[in-house]
Amino acid sequence: MLTFVVRRLLAILPVLLAVSLLTFLIASLLPGDLAYVILGDQATPENVAALRHDMGLDQPLWWRYLSWLGHVLQGDLGRSFRTGQTVLQAVAERFPVSLQLMLMAEFIGLLIGVPVAIACAARAGGAFDRFMTGSAFAMLSMPSFLVAILLIYLFAVELRWLPATGYVPFTEAPLGNLRFFVLPALTLALAEWPGIMRVLRSDMIATLQEDYIALAKAKGLKPARILFVHALKPSSLTLVTVTGINIGRLLGGTLIVESIFALPGIGRLLVGAIYTRDLVILQGVVLLVACGFVIVNFIVDMLYAVLDPRIRHGHA
Amino acid sequence: MATLELSIQDEASAPVRRRRGPGLLFWFASAWLAIVLTLAILAPVLPLQNPVDMDMLERRAAFSGEHWLGTDGLGRDEFARLIFGARVSLTVGLIAPMIGLALGGALGLLAGYFRGRFETLVVGSMDVLLAFPPLIFALAVVAYLGQSIPNLTIILGVLGIPAFMRVARAATLTLARREFVIAAEALGASHARILLRELLPNVILPLLAFFLLGVAVTIVVEGALSFLGLGVPPPMASWGSMIGEGRDSLDIAPRLAFLPAAALFLTVLAFNLVGDTLRALTDPRQGAL
Amino acid sequence: MTNIVAAARNCAPIFLVAAFALVSPAQAQKSGGSITVGQEMDISGFDPLKVGVYDTSTNTAAAAIFDTLTTLDDKGEVAPKLAVSWTHSDDYKSWTFKLREGVKFHDGTPFNAQAFKENFDRQKDPANKCRCAFYISTVKEVLAPDEYTIVYNLTDPAVNLPATITIQSSNNVIHSPTAWKTKGADYNRNPVGTGPYILKSWTAGDRMVLEKNPDYWNKGRPYLDRIILKPLPDAQSRFASLQSGEADIIWDDENDADNIMRAQKDSKLTVHTYKGSGAQVYAFNTKVAPFDDVRVRQALVMSIDRPKMSQAISNGLSRPASNPYGDGSWVKCKDDGALPFDVEKAKALLKDYGKPVEFKMLVTATPRGRMIGQVLQQFWKRAGANMEIEQVDQATIPPRAFTRQFQLVPWRIVDLADPDPQMYANFRSGSPLSLANFVDPELDRLLDHSRVSADIGQRTNDYCAISRLINKEAIWFWTFQNTYYALSSAKLKGFPKIYNGVIDVSSTWLE
Repeated sequence: MLTFVVRRLLAILPVLLAVSLLTFLIASLLPGDLAYVILGDQATPENVAALRHDMGLDQPLWWRYLSWLGHVLQGDLGRSFRTGQTVLQAVAERFPVSLQLMLMAEFIGLLIGVPVAIACAARAGGAFDRFMTGSAFAMLSMPSFLVAILLIYLFAVELRWLPATGYVPFTEAPLGNLRFFVLPALTLALAEWPGIMRVLRSDMIATLQEDYIALAKAKGLKPARILFVHALKPSSLTLVTVTGINIGRLLGGTLIVESIFALPGIGRLLVGAIYTRDLVILQGVVLLVACGFVIVNFIVDMLYAVLDPRIRHGHA
Repeated sequence: MATLELSIQDEASAPVRRRRGPGLLFWFASAWLAIVLTLAILAPVLPLQNPVDMDMLERRAAFSGEHWLGTDGLGRDEFARLIFGARVSLTVGLIAPMIGLALGGALGLLAGYFRGRFETLVVGSMDVLLAFPPLIFALAVVAYLGQSIPNLTIILGVLGIPAFMRVARAATLTLARREFVIAAEALGASHARILLRELLPNVILPLLAFFLLGVAVTIVVEGALSFLGLGVPPPMASWGSMIGEGRDSLDIAPRLAFLPAAALFLTVLAFNLVGDTLRALTDPRQGAL
Repeated sequence: MTNIVAAARNCAPIFLVAAFALVSPAQAQKSGGSITVGQEMDISGFDPLKVGVYDTSTNTAAAAIFDTLTTLDDKGEVAPKLAVSWTHSDDYKSWTFKLREGVKFHDGTPFNAQAFKENFDRQKDPANKCRCAFYISTVKEVLAPDEYTIVYNLTDPAVNLPATITIQSSNNVIHSPTAWKTKGADYNRNPVGTGPYILKSWTAGDRMVLEKNPDYWNKGRPYLDRIILKPLPDAQSRFASLQSGEADIIWDDENDADNIMRAQKDSKLTVHTYKGSGAQVYAFNTKVAPFDDVRVRQALVMSIDRPKMSQAISNGLSRPASNPYGDGSWVKCKDDGALPFDVEKAKALLKDYGKPVEFKMLVTATPRGRMIGQVLQQFWKRAGANMEIEQVDQATIPPRAFTRQFQLVPWRIVDLADPDPQMYANFRSGSPLSLANFVDPELDRLLDHSRVSADIGQRTNDYCAISRLINKEAIWFWTFQNTYYALSSAKLKGFPKIYNGVIDVSSTWLE
């Protein structure tokens, strides 16, 4: 197990390096010269040349990459030219929001998806199964920008149960914080659960046809025990994969949900950075998000090994 | 070694379920798909109103003989837009997941079977792609290549590859250690034979389930990208962009958002039903889609 | 703005006493409470050297944190703020302001003529390369002859200077020199002014909390204990936040007409509108085909049916514009030379041009931008021209415009007391904002002449001639006049007119 962990950890480094290179390239090659963006109407050729020199933009690309990487390795991700914030400050402000949103959305998604999947798999092809499969697709057909505004009108404007937009940090008002997150997390979860449900249901049906399940049945075990104890764990490999991907995706922020609910998350930060060509922020934040994603995936890989011991011993 | 697999299945006295033939639902679903696809393909030659012509004084008009489904927020014929929107949505929604299915599925299958360095490389490069925030990827590609349907399809297709790869690899990982594969190896079957004959037919099931999901998700994501100004360029319609535009009139004409959403729902559901039934007819195992 | 001009003409030197202008309206103000303001955009910062020019969201915050020399009262007349009185030279090229005494910045340092001069010099200094410098190009220098006197020396006469410096823009709000010197790069997000509210905390993308300034020079003001500014980028959820009470006042525009009309019917909400001068405008890049040909430009302008467009994009709320000044301006033209709506003529012009007309137009990637873009596209298609919509973010439009990387770009002439700053910037050849890249000696002559004269009749003649020339050459076109909107809870009182398009909540109170 230990060698497996070490091997996986070592595999992370080249991934991060590749991400940093890709990030840097995409950021640097974006159309629109940074110097022009900063100078605006003062962009005379002399001013542009001077600023490009000040910012090191006249250096060759590989040199800029290496010097950026060098700073990053020393823990210096840089400072936004626009706001004057450092990358770490910006991320420290935004990341907790995206993280909480992701966790709550995934939690609600699993809370709906897993029981429904198990119930559907237990009676595959039955009325409940068919109804839920249909509902899942109905949910998938509603884009989050529509679901969000419907939820706001229902729960905030009509019923007045929950706030429409906004955010307070958890440390300031734990309960208030949760109230603010319910609608955005629900919006995301309503798009997540159909995927969770479909994947788990399909694997579960396959597992239920295994001979050891038949054996368990023959031994007279209760159906619920068979479903939750014997069938769920071996059926959850794909589910873990999909959840890992979802978490990674949500870590990078969810621009639309963040914008509609006015949550100060990573998505708005990143897209704002792209639009204003705030490359320092863009590169730094993408790199940090990528690190977060890689860590989540590392955990998912570990979970694979736990769920299915055979994976640990790969051949060759 | 399909026989071996079958025998395992047979031994397992799986709960006996009603074996459904292609019932009424299947025919409804097929008919719906046939109609939608025909309308979408034939849209330019059908006697439809022009989907981009505006009647600015007839905004959000109700259903009428002239405009069967009324008009949208800018006075354009909603029915014509739905059908032209189907062209875009189905093109993007089917082709993009196919890119993901083909490339991601193949990579995942190979990685899960051969493992070792190759697996590390595939998983690593997919991780790079996944780790990169998808919206930033889309924004950057649109900034370089411009906004068009082919570019959009490629973006969504490429973004889908890692997910398909992971699903295929996860499925392969569990299957590769299973008795029938080990038996095939012991019998001296070639890698190609094991991959294509033993693993692929089993891996393809979760992949297809994921693909059908992918169709729905892609059509909706296209709408989200349109909402952000990265989807199909206006005035072209797609179901997703129509839902986005209808959202501004929820109070006055909710149908503008819900008609395209309903079209999307019925189509995705129909795809699923048809896929499910076809699979049930060709595969002895039960409803795993 | 006619009043201002009349005042400026008739009674020079003007002398206004603070107490006189600050007479409060008859309503009973109440102190205490807090409000939340829903804005469209996130604020990036306040340091003029960093952000260059403030956008409308930043203006709102600046109006609470900072003070300007002068302000506009509810009749639209100039009133004292940090300046208590002002006089001008006979040629209107020199303005002397007497400053309020005893005013302190939030950091305790005194506000005086030296502080004001430092603010100005910092923006003007070529070494600082401030994007804001352009708008003060007509100010030769600011002198501080004694502690409470400043003198603006201008290159050209400016009859309306006290009115034009009322907008809470990066040029006019007064920062604490000590603060920007000691805070360095952090100053941008830690602004220090003399205003009625002090920045308490600011989470980027979420909220800016402003607390009442207990030592505000205007005793008894402000009324509210706290103002919270929030960016609510989505128009639908912004309005929902107002309905559900998360926000007390929100920024809005006429393209959100459905919600404005809902608010009008809702007794719990108040709709504030202000018909300002200026217009929503569009600039052709006359250096690139097909817009290097006047026939194409004229044809496109003549194909726009503004009343119909108003119906389509704002349920008819938008007021068609035929010149860049609008009904809210003191420039009234008998003939502004607007091209008539005439599709047949447009088709003929395009036919005359001969080549197919295809081009791209920049629009903002928002529902509003797409809606307007598609409507224009439709008009032009009817005339036989093909427009492709290129969606870009709001923040991308200025750099694209400044670098002339566009064929057709949307712009805005905002509500200002005098047309000169914007007209000169937008149309004088050689100006970085002369987006059309159009050079015409007659236009330059008129622009130069309109600013050297102090005579209102003469200037009106010049501006009308300018309008006729621009309309005839069709280098820019105007679709609708500026109408500014804010929607608020009916409990919010004392909200002033939306002068300069700025939502200024610093003097409001809650009932």
